[in-house]
Amino acid sequence: MTIAIEALVKIIVLVLVVLGTVAYLVLLERKVSAYMQDRIGPNRVGPKGLFQPFADILKLVLKEQIVPEKATQFIHALAPVISITVALSALAVIPFGNYIVIGGQKISLMIANVNVGVLYILALSSLGVYGITLSGWGSNSKYSLLGGLRSSAQMISYELSLGLSIIGVLMVNGTLQLNKIVEAQSGWHWNIFYQPLGFLVFFVAAFAETNRLPFDLPEAEPELVGGYHTEYSGMRWGLFFLSEYTNMIVSSALMATLYFGGWSLPFVNYASMSPNIAALVQVVTFMFKTGIFIFIYMWVRWTLPRFRYDQLMNIGWKVLLPLAILNLLGTGAVMLAVK
Amino acid sequence: MSENGNERIKPKMSLWERLYFPEILRGMSITIRVFFRPKFTRQYPEERWIPPPVFRGRPVLVMEDETGVERCVACGLCARVCPSLAIQVQAAETELDKERYPKLFEINMLRCIFCGFCEEVCPEEAIIMSKEFELTFTNPKDAIYGKDKLLIPASQLKDRLDFLKQYR
Amino acid sequence: MPKVTIEGKTVEVENGTTIIRAAAQAGIEIPHFCWHPGLSVAGNCRMCLVEIEKMPKLAIACATQVSDGMVVHVNSEKAIEARKAVLEFILINHPLDCPICDEAGECNLQDYTYSYGPGHSALEEAKNKKPKRVPLGPNVVYDAERCILCSRCIRVMDEVVKNPTLTFVERGDRVYIDTFPGKELNDPYSMNVIDVCPVGALTNRDYRFKARVWETSSTEGICAGCSRGCNINIWVRNNEILRLTPRFNPEVNSYWMCDNGRLNSFREVNSAERLNSPLVRKDGVLQEAGWDESLAHAADALKPFSKDEIAVFGSAYSSVEDNYILQKFAKQVLGTTNIDFLQHTIEGDQDNLLIRADKTPNSCGAREAGVVSSKGVDSKKIFELIAAGKIKALYVMDDDIAASKEIEELLTKLDVLIVNHWVKTKTTQLADVVFPSATFAEKYGTFVNFLGRVQMFRPAVSTLEQERVPGRFTMSRLDKFGSAFDKWNKGPRRNVRSSWEIISAVGNLLGGKMRYQSAQKVFDEIAQVAPSFKGLSYAKLGDRGALLSRQGSGSIGKKSKEEALVS
Repeated sequence: MTIAIEALVKIIVLVLVVLGTVAYLVLLERKVSAYMQDRIGPNRVGPKGLFQPFADILKLVLKEQIVPEKATQFIHALAPVISITVALSALAVIPFGNYIVIGGQKISLMIANVNVGVLYILALSSLGVYGITLSGWGSNSKYSLLGGLRSSAQMISYELSLGLSIIGVLMVNGTLQLNKIVEAQSGWHWNIFYQPLGFLVFFVAAFAETNRLPFDLPEAEPELVGGYHTEYSGMRWGLFFLSEYTNMIVSSALMATLYFGGWSLPFVNYASMSPNIAALVQVVTFMFKTGIFIFIYMWVRWTLPRFRYDQLMNIGWKVLLPLAILNLLGTGAVMLAVK
Repeated sequence: MSENGNERIKPKMSLWERLYFPEILRGMSITIRVFFRPKFTRQYPEERWIPPPVFRGRPVLVMEDETGVERCVACGLCARVCPSLAIQVQAAETELDKERYPKLFEINMLRCIFCGFCEEVCPEEAIIMSKEFELTFTNPKDAIYGKDKLLIPASQLKDRLDFLKQYR
Repeated sequence: MPKVTIEGKTVEVENGTTIIRAAAQAGIEIPHFCWHPGLSVAGNCRMCLVEIEKMPKLAIACATQVSDGMVVHVNSEKAIEARKAVLEFILINHPLDCPICDEAGECNLQDYTYSYGPGHSALEEAKNKKPKRVPLGPNVVYDAERCILCSRCIRVMDEVVKNPTLTFVERGDRVYIDTFPGKELNDPYSMNVIDVCPVGALTNRDYRFKARVWETSSTEGICAGCSRGCNINIWVRNNEILRLTPRFNPEVNSYWMCDNGRLNSFREVNSAERLNSPLVRKDGVLQEAGWDESLAHAADALKPFSKDEIAVFGSAYSSVEDNYILQKFAKQVLGTTNIDFLQHTIEGDQDNLLIRADKTPNSCGAREAGVVSSKGVDSKKIFELIAAGKIKALYVMDDDIAASKEIEELLTKLDVLIVNHWVKTKTTQLADVVFPSATFAEKYGTFVNFLGRVQMFRPAVSTLEQERVPGRFTMSRLDKFGSAFDKWNKGPRRNVRSSWEIISAVGNLLGGKMRYQSAQKVFDEIAQVAPSFKGLSYAKLGDRGALLSRQGSGSIGKKSKEEALVS
C-alpha cells in the first residue's frame, strides 16, 4: 500500500514537473532561437516574457479542435494520446538522485526500479513510432501519411544503432538497471571516457529518435506542411508538441545517465552530507547535466539544416550502424584484453 | 550529366569536410557567437522611430499654410503614373488663378505601394511622401483616403519639401 | 500626273497636289499646325517646313505644289533643325500649363514637342500675359496664352460655317483671337473650332475639366441627333458618356458636326430617368419585374387579341435591326398590317451644311426595314382606329408617341399597351408592360441616313447584359487594368436589352421563330431578304458606311413580303 502511494505521489510530482518544464522549454527554445538569430524573442507577456508559456497553453486549450471529415475519428484522437503516454512513461525508470529520507523511510528518487530499465526504455521508444504513424494514417491526408511513413522508416533505422550503442554501456557496467549504471560511474568513471564512439552514435541516433532537426523529416514544414500533425489543431496538436519536448527531456536525461554519471558528481562525497541535502545536490546535478543536453538539442536545431531523405538513410545504415557494431567489437576486444 | 541534360554540380569535398562533424561544430560555433552578441532590437510601440526625410511614407497632398488651398491642380498625372492604380482624381473648375482643383482626390491605401512615382511626376510638388507609415484600418473602405485625410499643411512637411528641393 | 519622291518613297499624285497631301498618300506624316485638310491653306505656322532637292531654301509642305521628279526630305538634318526652331519660337510664349490643360493627351503641340522639340528654351524672359478664360460664346472658352495663332478657328467660321465671327486682334506678340465687336460665337456649329484647335486654346465648356483624355475610351458611333447621321467618336469614362466629337467621313459630315448633336444627342443615355428594369402594371401601378416574368406577361397580354385589334409602332430612333424584327414580329407572329412609325420633323430647322429637319437618325432605315403597312394603315389611321375602339392592343418600340394631349387620352382607351423605351416618357407612364431598351450607344446596329447611307455603330457604354470586355468594346487604360471593384468602374450598368432582343423574345413566346444570336445575324438576314440591303454586311459597312442599292422603295413591306415570310 505505501509503495503504491509512494509511486503515485512520485508519478504526479514528476509529471507535473515535466509538463511545467516542457512549457518553459518552449519559451527557452524561442529565446534561444531568437538570440541565435540576433533577435530577443518573446518579451511581452510578463517580465522578459516569462509568462509566455501560460499564454501559449491557454491558446492551445482554447483553440478550436478541427478534425478532418474524412479522418478515422478514433485513431485520429488516439494517436496523440499514445505519443504523450509513451513519452511520459519512459521517465519512470530514470533516476534523478539516489534517495531521500522522509520519516525514517528511504524513498528512492526514481519511480520504478525496473531491473531491465534499459530494455524498458528501448521498448517504449519503439512504441513512440506508433503515435506518429497512426496520426499520419488516421488523418487521411497525403502530407500526414508521408510524414508518418517517413517517421516509421526513420525510427526503425535509427533504433538499431541506438540499441547497439547502449550495449557498449551495458558491457562496461554489467547491468540493465539505470541506478546501478549511475552508481557504477561514480568518481570519474563516466562512461563517456570508456565509450566515446558509443556516445557519438547514441547522440546522433537520439536526435533522429526524437524527430528533432536535422532529422525532423516527419514534420518537414517546407515539403509536408506539418507532416504527421498537419491535420491536428488545438490541444491534440498540443499533445504532440508536449511529447516531442518530453522525448527531448528523456533522451537528454538518458545521455546524462548513461554517459555522464547521472546524478553523481565526481568530487563530492555524498556520505558526509545528510541524505536529503545529498539528494538535493544530486537532483540539481542531474538537472544541470540534462539541461546542457537540452540546450545542445536547441543549439543544433537552430544551426543545422534538415537532411535529405536519402542522406538520412545513408547515415543511419551506412555510417551509424557500422560504427555501433565497430564500437561493440572494440569494447569486447578491449575487455577481453584487460581481463 | 543528369536526365534533363544539365550538368550536375557535385562539390569536391576534402576528407575533413566529409567527416562532417568538424563542419557541424564550425557551424555551431557561429550560432553560439551570435547568441552572445548584443542585440539591437527596437522595442517598437514604446521606442518610436522617426524616419529621415528620404523615407517614403504615405503620400499626402500639400496645403499652403496661408491660404489653406491645396497645391494640386488635378492634372491626373499621379493617377496616370501610379503602377497600382491607387489614385483617383476628379478635377473641377475654380475661380482661383490655378483654374483647376481636385474636387475629389482619393488614394486607396490598400493599393498604394509607396513607390513615390506620384511625387516624382507631380509638376506642382503637390503630392509628396510623408513620414507616416503606421496605417491601420478595420474596413477596406476606411483605407480609401480622401482629401480630408490627405491634405497636410506645408509647414508640417518641411523636412520632405526641403529634401526634394535639395536633391531633385 | 507628277511623280514625287518623299523620304525615298515615290508616289504619283494629281496635278496641283500639295506636298503635305502627297506625303499623306505615301503614308508619311509631316508635322503641321495651321494646315487642316478641311480648310484653306494659311501657311502661317511654318511647322511643315521640308527640304526639297534643288531648292535653295526649305519650303512649307502645305502650300508647295508637287512637280514631276521632285525629291522631298522630311527628316533631313535641315528640316529637323527647322522644326526645332519653329517649335522653340511657338513655345516662347506658350504657357507650361499642360497639367491643367484639357487638350493634354491629344494636343498636337505637346506631341510634336515630344517628338521634334528642342527640349529646352533659350529664353530667360517671362512669358506674355494675355486674356485667359474668355467665354467666346455659350459653348467655347478661349485661353489666349495657349493660342499659337494658327487661324484654323477663324477659317472654320469663314469657310465651313460661312458665318465669319472670329478674327485676330492686336499685333506682334500681343495678338490674340476675339469675336468681331458685338458678335458672339453662338453659331450652331461653333464647337467645331474646338476640334480644329491644335492646342488647348479653345475648350468645350460642357466637357471642361471633366476628364483627362487618357482616362476615357473612344468608340466609333453615329450621332442620333438628326437624319444626317454624322460620324462621331463617343468618349466614355466610368460607363458614362462625357463628350462626342466628330469623326471624318467625306460622304456624310466631313470633319464637322453641329453643337446640338454634340451636346444633346447623348443626354438620354446618361439620363437619371433611364429605365433600369422591366415594369409590369400590377393593381394599376407599374412595378419592377424580372425579364422572364415581364416577357411572359407581355405575350399573355397580346394573345387574346385578333390580328386586326393589334397595332405596332416602329421607331425612327431605333436601328434597322430593331425595326426589321418589329415588322417581322407584326407580320409573321401577330399577322397584323397595322404598322407604322412616327416622323419627328421640325420644319425649317435645317440648313445646307449638316442639320436636317428630320430629327430622327433612322427614318429612312425604318421604312427600308419594312415598318410600313401594306394596306396603307398609317399612324393617323391607327389612331383613328384606336379612337373607334377597333384597335385594343398597341406595341410601341423606342418612341414617345404620347406627345400631344389628344394622343395621351387615346392611349388610355387601349386594353393593352406595351412599350420599349430607354427613359421614362409619357407613353411608358400609360403602358401595361415597359421594357427598358438599349440606346444607340449601348448596342450594335445600323442607321440609314437621309441619303440612304447605311452606317454601323457599336456599343460604347456597357450594360448589365454586356460587360465591358476586350474585343467588343474599346477600352481605356482604366478599363484594361482596373478591376470590377474599382470605384471608377462602378458607373451604372443598366439592365437593358436591345429592342430586337426583347421583341424576338416576345415573338418566340407567341409561337414565332425568331432566334438570332446577335444584331449582326439580324442584319445578315435583312441583307438576304431586303433587296435594298443586298450584298451588305457589317464588314462591308466598315467605318464609312455604304449606300443602299435602291432607295425609298420600302422594299420589305411591299415587294418582297413573300420572301420575308419564307425565311
